[in-house]
Amino acid sequence: MADLPLTGVRVLELSSYFVGPYTTRLLADAGADVLKIEPPTTGDPARHEGPFFHDEPDLEKSGVFLFLNTNKRSVTLNLESNRGQQIVRDLIKETDIIVESFPPGYLDKLGLSYKTLSEINPNLVMVSITNYGQNGKYKDYQGVDLTLWAMGGAMISSGHIDEYPLKLAGRIASFHVGSCVAAATMTAYWNALLSDEGEQVDISFYESWMGSIDRRTRDLLVHAYTGEQSQRAFPSSRLASGAYPCKDGYFHFSNGGRRFLDRLLPMMGLEHLANEPPWNDPVALVQPESAQEFDAIFIPWLLEYTKQELRDMCQEAGVLGAPVNTVEDIVNDRHFIEREYWQTIDHPATGPLSYPGFNVRFHGIERPNRTPAPLLGADTNGVMEHLGYSPEEIGLLRHQGVI
Amino acid sequence: MGKKLPLEGIRILDFCHIWVGPYASQLLADWGAEVIWVESRYHSVRGQARPNPKTVAQGQAFGYPDKEPGDRPWNRSANINRHARNKLSITVDNRTEKGRDIVRQLMAKSDVILENQVPVTAERYGLTWDEASKANPQIILMNMPAFGLDGPYKNYRTLGSHMEAISGHQIIRAYPHMDPGQLSDVFPADAGGAAAAAAVMMGLVHRKRTGQGLHIEFVTAENFIPYIGDFVMDYTMNGRVHQHEGNQDWSMAPHQVYKCLGDEQWVTIACRNDHDWNALCQVMENPTWTNDPRFSDSLSRYQNRLALDEYISTWTADKDKFWVMDSLQALGVPSGAVFNEKDAYNDPHLEERRFFEDVSHPDAGTHSYPGIQWKLSKTPNKIRRHAPQLGQDNEYIYKEVLGFTAKEYEKLVSEGHIGMEYDESVP
Repeated sequence: MADLPLTGVRVLELSSYFVGPYTTRLLADAGADVLKIEPPTTGDPARHEGPFFHDEPDLEKSGVFLFLNTNKRSVTLNLESNRGQQIVRDLIKETDIIVESFPPGYLDKLGLSYKTLSEINPNLVMVSITNYGQNGKYKDYQGVDLTLWAMGGAMISSGHIDEYPLKLAGRIASFHVGSCVAAATMTAYWNALLSDEGEQVDISFYESWMGSIDRRTRDLLVHAYTGEQSQRAFPSSRLASGAYPCKDGYFHFSNGGRRFLDRLLPMMGLEHLANEPPWNDPVALVQPESAQEFDAIFIPWLLEYTKQELRDMCQEAGVLGAPVNTVEDIVNDRHFIEREYWQTIDHPATGPLSYPGFNVRFHGIERPNRTPAPLLGADTNGVMEHLGYSPEEIGLLRHQGVI
Repeated sequence: MGKKLPLEGIRILDFCHIWVGPYASQLLADWGAEVIWVESRYHSVRGQARPNPKTVAQGQAFGYPDKEPGDRPWNRSANINRHARNKLSITVDNRTEKGRDIVRQLMAKSDVILENQVPVTAERYGLTWDEASKANPQIILMNMPAFGLDGPYKNYRTLGSHMEAISGHQIIRAYPHMDPGQLSDVFPADAGGAAAAAAVMMGLVHRKRTGQGLHIEFVTAENFIPYIGDFVMDYTMNGRVHQHEGNQDWSMAPHQVYKCLGDEQWVTIACRNDHDWNALCQVMENPTWTNDPRFSDSLSRYQNRLALDEYISTWTADKDKFWVMDSLQALGVPSGAVFNEKDAYNDPHLEERRFFEDVSHPDAGTHSYPGIQWKLSKTPNKIRRHAPQLGQDNEYIYKEVLGFTAKEYEKLVSEGHIGMEYDESVP
C-alpha cells in the first residue's frame, strides 16, 4: 500500500487563526508532518475563539482550534527572543515548507526573512500569507473576514436589493483563502522538487477572492466587456425561484422556465394545469403576476412535504431543487453517513467528537484517522531534545519564557 | 529571467463545466500545465451557443462585449473567457465510438484527467478509473462529483445555488429578520476548485515518488462542509444550530456593513477589541452617544449591536466610503469599502500589484482581465494566452499530439469531429 502523497514532507507552521492553519490542515491530511509553532502560555489565538466545548472557555476546548489543527504537533516558542529565533533557524534545516502569516516585514525584523532562511536551506519553500500582499498601498491595512471579503469578494451583489449587502457565513471567506494557499504552496513545492531550489510565495486574502471563480471574476469581466455592475437579487419575479417554506424548513428552487414547469406540474399531480392559462402561454409564464399566482398553489402544496421528501421527489422527476439544510440536517444526512464522511476524534479535553472528514479521497491509499489537535506545547520537549538540548537547558528556556 | 512555470510539460485533459472544475483547471493552466479542454460541436459547455434574438434586440444579452453576441457568441462570453485563459480547446464528437477512441488516445498521452460531471454521465463517457487507467496506467484521474462516486445521492444533480443550500450555507448567511427567500446565489462551494488544484499537484508528487497513477475523488460537498467547520463543531459539541446570522459575528461588534454617501455605496467596519472601538470613536470625533453605557465594553456593544449599528449608519450616511475605510485603517481598525467592479478596476493597490492584465481575444477584443492569484518570488507569471476559441487548437492536438495525418484530419473534419462552429442543432 502506497504512502499518502505528502508523507515525509516537513511543514513548519508559523501561522494562526484560520487561513494558515486550514492550509496546513489540508497538507497534514495528505500526509505532511506539520509542526505548529505557538506563542508560550497563550498559544494560537484561535484557542481563545468560540464555540467552546460545553461552552467552557479553555485553551484546549475551542471547537475552531480543535477542528483546524488535527494531525499536527505543537511547539511553543517565543519568536521575539534571540534563542527562539535560533531554534527556528535550526528547525529550518529540517523543513521543506514554512507557512507564515505575519504582517509584511515582521519576520525580516526578527532575522527570519526568506533570504536568511533560504541561505540555511536553499530548498525551502516559504509561503507568506497576508491580508493584502507584501507590497502595495494596503499592505499594512488590517482585516477580518467581513472587511476583506467586502473588498475582494462579490459582497456588493450578495443578498437582497432592498437590504444591505450580505457576507458569506462564518469564516468561509478565510477557508477559501486557505484552499488557495494550499494550491499556491503546491505550485512552489512542485517547482522546488523539480529544480532543487525553493522560493517565496506571496499570497493575499484580497487577491485570492478578487481572482476567485465563484462569481467575482465573472462580474469583473462582464464589467470590462459591457460596463455593467452586478446587483443584489430583486424580489421574486420568476416563477418557483428561490427558497420556499416547506413542512420542516425551506426548499430551494432556481428555475422557472417551460421545461421546469413541464416536470414540476406532474410531480405535484397537477399536469392538467399545463394546458390552462397562464401556464400554457410562454409569454404569460414569465410575468411576475404569474409567479405570484403560482405561489398561491405552490406554497400550500410544499407545506405538506419535508425537505427530504421534496429532495427525493425532485430528483425522481428531474426538477432542479435542493433542501436548505441546517448543520443538524447535514450531520445526520444518510448520504454522508453512508459514505463514512464524519470522523470521530478523541481529544483528551473533550472526549470523542464527530468532525468533518477529509476534503478529498485518494483511492488505493490507506489513510489513518486523524490525530486530535495537540495540547499547547505538547511536543516542545521532544522537539527540543531532538535539536540536542538537555533537560536542564529545556528547563531553563521554559523558565525564561522562550518555550 | 526566472524559473520556468512549475507545471510546464504536464498535460491535463479537462472535461469540466460550471464552475468547480474549470476553476481547478484554470489554476493549473495558469501555472503552466497544458490544459486541453475537451469540447464537442454537438454540445455546448459554454452556455447558450446562440442567444435568443429577442434578448439580444432588447440589449439584454448577458456578458458579451458591448452586449453583442457577434457571429460566434460562444467565443465572446465573459463567463467562459474569464476562466479559460491559458487553456487549449479540442473538439471531438464523443457520442461516437470513434470519438471515444480519440479520447482514449488523448488519455494515453496525458498526465492528468479532470472531470466534474454527475457520475452516471462520467461513466457513460468512460471517465472512470477503470477506463482511464486502462488507457494510461500512470494517469492521475480526478473525479469531481457534487456528492460522491457512491452513496444515496451519487447521481443527484445539482447547481451551485443548490450546493449552497444543501451544504448549510444559505440558512446560516440569511438575514436575521427575513426568510432566506431571495438572497442572490453566491457559490463559495465552486471556489473549492482551488483545493482540487492542490490535490492534483499532490497526485503529481505521488506519481513522481512511486511511478504510479492515482485516482482522486474530490467531492464538492465534502470539500465545502469543512468551510462551516466551526458551526459543525458547535453542533457536535453543544447541539447548537446556527441560522440567520447575517453579517454578525459571535466575537465582534460593531461588525456590519454601513451605507455611505451615494447610490449603493457601502463600507464594512469591524471592532475586534477596545483599541479598535476607541479608534473608531476618535475618527467619528467622539459623539456623545459613544459614552452611552450600552457601548462601554465589548460585551455590552455586542449585546446592543443593533442600536450601535443605527448610530454608526447615521455617521457613515454622508461620508465617502473610501474616506471611512482609509481613516479607520490609518488608526489600525479593520474596515473595507464594499468594492463594486469599477472600484476593483480602479483600485490603486491592485494597480501597484499589477493584478489586472490586458488580454486580446480575436473574437472578443482587448479588455482588462483578473490576473494570477498569487506570486512566486523566482517564477514570474502572467496570462499567456486568451481563452481558446471553440476548437482553436484542433490542428495542434490532432496532428502534433496524436499524430494524425493531414488526410485523416480532413476525414475527421468531414465526419464532424473537428470544427470551430457548433452544429446547427445546438441551442
